[in-house]
Formats: sequence, C-alpha cells, structure tokens
Amino acid sequence: MTRRRVVNGPRVRRAVQLVFLVLFFALLVLARPRPGVDPSPLLHAFFHFDPLILVSTWLAAHAVPAAALLSLVVIGMTIVLGRVFCGWVCPLGTIHALASRLFHGRPRKPKRPDHWSRWQLAKYYLLVAFLAMAALGGHWVAIFDPLVLLYRTTTVALLPGLQWAVEEGSTAVWQTDPGIGPMRLNSVTNPVYELTRDHVFVVPDQAFLGAGWIAAVFVVTLALNAFRRRFWCRYLCPLGALLGLFAWRPLLRRKTRPETCNQCDLCGMACHGAAAAAPGDGWRAAECLGCLNCTDSCARQSLRFGPAGPWKRAAAEERLGLSRRAALGAAAGGVAALALVRANPQSRGRQNHPRLIRPPGSRPERQFLERCTACGLCMKVCPTGGLQPAIAEAGLEGLWTPRLVPKIGYCDYTCNLCGQVCPTEAIQSLTVEAKNATKIGLACFDTTRCIPYAYARDCMVCEEHCPIPDKAIYVVEVEVEDRQGNKKTVKQPHVDPDLCIGCGVCEHVCPYRDRPAIRVTSSNESRNPDNQPILAELDWDDPY
Amino acid sequence: MSEHSRREFLVRSATAGALAFGAKDLLAAQAAAADMTIAKWTGAEATSNSQIDKVAAQLTEKAIEGLGGMKRFVSRGDVVWVKPNIGWDRTPELAANTNPAVVATLVRLSFEAGAKTVKVGDNPCDLAEKTYDASGIAAAVRPLGAKVVLLDRKRFRETSVKGERMKTLLMYPEILDCDVVINVPVVKHHALASCTACMKNYMGVIDERRPFHQALPECLVDLTRFMKPRTGLHVLDGVRILQGHGPKGGNPADVVLKTTIAAGVDPVALDAFGAELMGRKPSEIGSVVKGNEAGLGTMDYRSLAREIAVS
Repeated sequence: MTRRRVVNGPRVRRAVQLVFLVLFFALLVLARPRPGVDPSPLLHAFFHFDPLILVSTWLAAHAVPAAALLSLVVIGMTIVLGRVFCGWVCPLGTIHALASRLFHGRPRKPKRPDHWSRWQLAKYYLLVAFLAMAALGGHWVAIFDPLVLLYRTTTVALLPGLQWAVEEGSTAVWQTDPGIGPMRLNSVTNPVYELTRDHVFVVPDQAFLGAGWIAAVFVVTLALNAFRRRFWCRYLCPLGALLGLFAWRPLLRRKTRPETCNQCDLCGMACHGAAAAAPGDGWRAAECLGCLNCTDSCARQSLRFGPAGPWKRAAAEERLGLSRRAALGAAAGGVAALALVRANPQSRGRQNHPRLIRPPGSRPERQFLERCTACGLCMKVCPTGGLQPAIAEAGLEGLWTPRLVPKIGYCDYTCNLCGQVCPTEAIQSLTVEAKNATKIGLACFDTTRCIPYAYARDCMVCEEHCPIPDKAIYVVEVEVEDRQGNKKTVKQPHVDPDLCIGCGVCEHVCPYRDRPAIRVTSSNESRNPDNQPILAELDWDDPY
Repeated sequence: MSEHSRREFLVRSATAGALAFGAKDLLAAQAAAADMTIAKWTGAEATSNSQIDKVAAQLTEKAIEGLGGMKRFVSRGDVVWVKPNIGWDRTPELAANTNPAVVATLVRLSFEAGAKTVKVGDNPCDLAEKTYDASGIAAAVRPLGAKVVLLDRKRFRETSVKGERMKTLLMYPEILDCDVVINVPVVKHHALASCTACMKNYMGVIDERRPFHQALPECLVDLTRFMKPRTGLHVLDGVRILQGHGPKGGNPADVVLKTTIAAGVDPVALDAFGAELMGRKPSEIGSVVKGNEAGLGTMDYRSLAREIAVS
C-alpha cells in the first residue's frame, strides 16, 4: 500500500523556509551603512512584498510607493495556493514553527489534540478593527505586521544584544589576554570581534531606548507557542488574517478520501495552522498554511491537494464562519480605539513634543503616522545610531516610530540614508543638499549649565563640531568676573536660528553627559509651520 | 631628544659626510643639520586640485630632504604611525584635514627609508569611515601599502601621562607601540585656540577629550610632553589652510592656498610658524606660549628654520 514519494513535501518546504529566513537576516545585516555606497532597493524587498503594508498604507494615506505593488504577487499566490506565504516564506512564521518544535517536540507527537478553534477567528476581527482604524488614518496595524515586528525586534533588540555579548566578551579577553603558552584566546575572539565590528554592527555600544519592551513583545509571542503551536500565526497575525481572506476559495484544496481515512488524526497532530476541526475533516482553506505535513504524515494516503474551481463553494463545516455582526462590532471597536488613542493633545496638534525630532524628510506628523510602520529600517541604517524608537513622545499612535535622540546620536551632515530606505516614504528621500536645507529642530543653550555662561570658562566643543559651513553657533567674547573678582574674557556661544538645522551634533558632543547644556528641540522643523516660533529671515531677492 | 641622539648623530654625520664627499656646496651640508625646514612653492600658482597635490608632494619631499632625509627619523624595520588630521567629513579642497598627497608622500618616504609597516590613522570627530573616505587619505595611502587603521573606541587604554593638568589619558595603545610617530597636522583656524597645528593634532591619539577645551593650552602641553619623545618628525601642512570657521570649515571662501610645507622636530616652533602663516602672532596662541615656557620647544622658529624655495 505504501508508495514512496520522489519529493518529500515538508522537507522542500523547510529548505525554502530556511532560505527566506537567511535572506531576511542577510538583508538586515547588509543594511549596515557604508561610506560612498547607496543603499540597495533590495533592502526593503520583504516590506514591498507585504500585502498588509500595501492595504493599510493605501487605506490610511490613499497612496503607496509603486514598489509596494509587488505585494500583489503575494496576493495572487494566495488566491491560487492559499496561505503558503505563512507556511513557506514568512521568517517570523518560521521562527514560530521552530519555537513550537522546541516546546512540543516532533510534530507527530503533540501532547494533546490540536484542532481548529473558534478563537482563531480572533485575528480576523482584530484585522477588521485595525483596518477600520487605517481607513481613518490610524496606521497602527502595521506595527504588528509580522515582517515589521521581526525587523524591528532584530534591529532594536536582538542584534544589539548580540553586539553587547561580542563587544564585552572580546574586550574582556583583550584586556586580560588569557591563554596557554603561546596560544592566546585573543587570537580567536579578536578576529570575530573585528569582523562583526566592521561588517555587522553599526556603532560601538549600539542600543535603543525601550528595547526591552520590544524584546518582551517578541518573547511573549514566542512563549505563547507553549500553549498552542504557532500561536501568533493562528490567533493574532494580522497579515495571516489578511491572506486568510484572500484564501477564500483557493484553486488548490485539500481532499480526504473517506473510504481510507480511519481518523487516526496523524494529520491533525502535524498541522501547523490547526486548519481542520476534526481528524481528517473540516479543513478550512483560510487556516491552512500549506505546510504539507498532513499529506506527508498520512499513513494511508487518504489526503491530497487537488484543483477546485473558485465557483466551488466549501462545505458548510469547512467555511471560515466569520459573523457579520462580529465584524461590524470589530470595525466599530477599531474606530472607538482610534478615538481613544487620539484623545491626547499631541494627536490633536495642540502641542508639539519638544523631543519628537523626526528624521529629515519626514512628512508632516499626521501624514507621517499614516505611513510609518515603525519597521526600524531607518534606525538600522542611521550611521550614528541616533534614530530611536519613540515611546510616548508621539503618543500611543506613534509607538516605536523613529525620532532623533541627539544625546545618543546626531543627524550626520552628509547622510541621507533614512529617506532612501524608508519602505513607505514616511520619510521622503532627499538629496544631501536638500536635506541640509531641511530643519528638523533648533538648538538652544541652557545658560545655567553651559560652561562659559555658568562657570566663566571656555569650552566651545559645540561650535567646533557645528557642520554648517558658516557655523550656526557663533561666539561672543564677554568680560566676566571670577570668584576672586578678577576680570577675564570668555567666549560665550550663541545659536543662529536662521542657520541651525537641528542636526544635534552640538548636543551630542556637549561635555555634559547627563543633560547637555545645548539641546535640540523640534522647534523650527520645516515640516510643521505650526512649530516655527522664529520668524524666518526675509529673502530680499524675492521678486514679490 | 635624548632617545634619538645617538641615531641622529650617526645619521647626521653620515649624511653630512656623504654630502661633503659628493662635493655638494656648503649650504647643502648645513641643510642636513637643519632641525626645521620651510619649503615654499615659488613656481607658477597651482590652480587645479591635481596640480596642488603634485606641488604638495614635491614640497613635502624637499622639506624632509632639508632635514637630512627620512632615514634620520625612520630606521630599517621600524613600525611607523603617520598621524594626519583626519578629523572631519570634508573633502581635501576644504582644508579641514591634512592634504592626502602630503600624507601619501610621507608614507612613501617611510617605506623607502626601510619601514616595515606604516600605519595611518586618527581619531576623527565625525564618523570615522566616512571621514577617512571623504578626506581622500585612505584612498591615497592604501595603494602604497600603508595600513589604514580605524581607531576602535573599545581599545583605548587609560595611560599615565604624569602631566600637570592631566594625570592619565585614554590613549590608543597601537600608536604608542609604534617605533616612531610622524605628526602631520594641517594649519587651521579654531575659535578657541585661534590657530591649531602640531600640538592640537595630538588630540587624535586620545579619547574622551571634550573637557580639555576648558584649559586647552595646559592640556596640550601635557599631551605634547608625553607624545613628543615618541614622535620623530612633525610635518606641517600649509598647502591649503583653513582661515575661518575652523576646525570643521566647509566654506571654500575660508580656504587660502599657501603652498607651504614646514617640517622639523620641534612642535612649538612649527606651531609658531603655523600661526604666522595664518597671519597671527605666535605670542597670541596659548599653547605656543605655554609650550615654550614648558621647554617643549622654542617659539622663536626663525632660530631653527631654513627656508627652501621650490619651483
């Protein structure tokens, strides 16, 4: 009875998954900035193939970058084959599959039956709620997109964690230089350190604000696999839900031969998506990840995938069973959630957070939030490491969106990478010249701590570093008295608001490391006329 | 000085002997003994960047030749650290960094003098990789076989310098381990120090240098006192000088073409000359005055210098 297959489906699938997983991380590592090299458009390939980013950005901003239309390929693939993107491509799905394997051992020996549950509909209702938000301009769904989630987590938490281990470990070895005889441990650790320093990590000691929370979300979703295999993919994933809707009547569907099936449930135990409600029966196309474990595990060859026309309706017990009433309720919930998320002065445009310094080229805040997915690609390419995930500065709606934190890293004068890589053009691509004509903030002195003001000594480190050719920081020599009453001259720095573009290098290099005596706030940012207190200098050459 | 005296004596007498034997004129024999040379371009004014680079290389060669040649400073098998100013993400025309042709010439002369390894590196203020790239220095010295070293923040080491203002500094061990350092600053404006050259260039071998600016002359004296015995040669790049908005510059209007290279063993004298090149009096420059007082050199550079006209 047994027939040997030439091609082992699950084995091929695992190979494909591995390829995409490696590709995902390889593209992430390759995003490391290199002087004189423009970033490759391939860096955001995964995001451009992501239909959820396409749909939600289109709903929120009514516009998408042309490259995002590539995700129509994934939609087409899903219409024909079902959610194979989840089962074969999605790197986060692969990680969850591995975690599930870790918790539950080999897929053929689960601890308990693992069938379809009504709770798997939750992700569809969540998606509906999120898309209702998106239709009103709230782009929050994108921050839970699986590709975005993994990219952000890796950039902000996983890689910096690895970097910490490599840097601290190799530096400790370098300092103590242990070894046996002529063999030095350093000769092993130092090459690893140098390789990663020069080709993987961006800035020494790189770290991101709130990385712990971002890591925690990831760890919790991984831990949920202990409860049910691929918990995220089955119950929560908004991209999975979106693809599930497109897998309404796929051309390839599973068929059971009732005459040979003895309902042993080997297929149910091996199923990644918990697509079937009963042993060998009740298979739901929208929940099937196309992993091929069922056909592979069936000892009697009772299962096979075969073609079915889109006109062919699924049997009643194989339909997804979404309720119209629940969907409307979810949509209403999404609208309500957005109303609550925006119930703060920041979202109403009645205040501008002084420390919400957006990267140069960022659209006005409302349009910015309609597009930004908080994927972290801009933070990944920022050569100073100054772009950081916002926590509360942009309101809950702007959670984990990028902001410049000059104390951590400044906006490099000859760099325009963040705009070049932004997959949704929330940060617009600017030439270096245009970028240097774009104000992202304004520096101001805290004269109660600035050394030449407060302590009558020279300092000037900020002036030294100011990259504006004619210097946005200038000095005025003043005569002061010291404690003994001796007169001395000191050079007190001032900011020229017409020249300052808010790059923040002054704040970054200020000798004060706790609260710099020169600080950049979002004032004067070009993108927001409502946040420009300084009357711009009149251009007398103006023909009008 | 004392560490090098025997080598210097031998080299000098050998060179002087050779020159005398070669029936060169008396002036050339004196040249071998000079402790500071100022090579000035007197030919037609160089206009294009490539012409300027060619002149810069020629001036550097003549200035070193006037000191008795690179063999006076670099011995066979030496590991040499060439320390230019690679401080800022600016192109060579903006004179915020040392001219790459000058650095490349020094690398070549060091190898010709028998150096085993020549390393080139600085601790930039801007992003290191971009700065090395934009300055043109990495591209100029790599083909000559020099090792371009990006200083690693994690590898600085607390080093005792026993200064008057600074007891310890975070210094870069790889630089201190070299046999000889060649200090190659560019003459630049600086809002605090008004003019910077050799002494300020040593800021590139240390880290955590921000608080220095509150007592810049004193700190530079401490740093120079520690570094001077490790430095064989100072070469002052006065090809293009940055006359305003230093040290980062960026406006071509602030750059003045001086086509001058000064070289020597006395950083204070060279800094005094650099100040004059910029139109300042040496006595106005705090670090020059303090360096003179501390006995690190003489601000009366004319007592040492010999001018060489190059055309």
